[in-house]
Amino acid sequence: MPASASTDPGEVSDLDLVKRSQAGDTRAFDVLVTRYRGRIYAMTYHLIQNETEAWDLAQEAFIKAWRALPTFKHDAGFYTWLYRIAHNVSYDWLRKKRIQGDGEFDDERTEHRVAVGAEATPKGDLAPDTALRNAELGQRIQEAIAKLSPEHRQVIVLREVEGLAYEEIAALIPCSLGTVMSRLFYARKKLQEQLHDVYETSL
Amino acid sequence: MKHPSEEHDLIRWIDGEMNEDERVTFEARLKQDPALATEVQKMSALSASLRAHMPAEMRVPHADYFNTQIEVRITQMALDEARAKQSASGWSAVLQLLSKPWFALAGATALAVVGFLLLNPEIGVASESMILSSYTPNTRVQARTYHDAGADATVLMLDGLDAVPADRKIAGINIQRTEMEPELASTTMFDGQGTAVLMISHDALGNPMISPR
Repeated sequence: MPASASTDPGEVSDLDLVKRSQAGDTRAFDVLVTRYRGRIYAMTYHLIQNETEAWDLAQEAFIKAWRALPTFKHDAGFYTWLYRIAHNVSYDWLRKKRIQGDGEFDDERTEHRVAVGAEATPKGDLAPDTALRNAELGQRIQEAIAKLSPEHRQVIVLREVEGLAYEEIAALIPCSLGTVMSRLFYARKKLQEQLHDVYETSL
Repeated sequence: MKHPSEEHDLIRWIDGEMNEDERVTFEARLKQDPALATEVQKMSALSASLRAHMPAEMRVPHADYFNTQIEVRITQMALDEARAKQSASGWSAVLQLLSKPWFALAGATALAVVGFLLLNPEIGVASESMILSSYTPNTRVQARTYHDAGADATVLMLDGLDAVPADRKIAGINIQRTEMEPELASTTMFDGQGTAVLMISHDALGNPMISPR
């Protein structure tokens, strides 16, 4: 499962903050929100592909976590627990959207203010044309992911972004290992088809 | 179409999910099957590209407001729970806001989102109110509250603000009650005459907004 963020020496531990939060200390919970909002938002954004909805769902995940804090037993890391909540919130949203007949998500997709790819790419070290190609490729990748079904998008995010092992993905979804592998294979094949033209020159 | 086991072998090799024996066997196959080797190469390249362009952490738009809204909703939940417990006639809310210019200055440097002041009739102390939460986006500013028995008021203190110019005139406003609008996440403050003097809410873009009335 996703590991918690490494804490600097002297930084208050998750465990301490969670205990204080469980006692009703909203300041302690605010520190946890600040610590993990970037990772939770990234996950919801990659799954939802909509900045506004991802922002709301990430917030919803933290609210649900606050409500569920009394049941948190410390037998798992806080981030792992929080991540599971955020994943379920986002995936439920995707499923409801599909049930409502909004199978294609592209229409509502918004451009993220930060060029996709720019945050994962060292800034300042790239020639302008290389940076542009990276940004364009990142954009094409996001567009291709937005066309995947929720199930395929889910395994791509869990594997490629979060780096979860197959067994962890199977436990989180939940489904069999074979299903995880099949979904990963076909999700990647579909992305290959979507990105065929850039593939020949950029990949 | 490949047999499922072939598909699984392909991605398990790419993702490093094979044990040593499986890996050696599969790599021997790759040497004998150029088409399979090409497919593996393309899918590996795609996988690497996905990882490079999908960051695991992203900047949250309006990050401070993100936290503030969570704080407001948590406070609202606490208030709802308190409401469920309280008797119909047991409510009163008292907030002592120091002054308009003072608050405007505070707004420039630190917005303190103060929770709710509520009388708890169950504990039977008619003059006490309770601050459920406070939050200052500017970490240099510390918010604290206390109950002044002499004034029968709850006082909000913001430490760390810029000094108020000596020639600035400060006028006090006695806030007698507040009203929450949960759907808008806004709070309106009223003076002793029932006049709305200040509203804390957010604009259409979701940015925090303080509106003197």
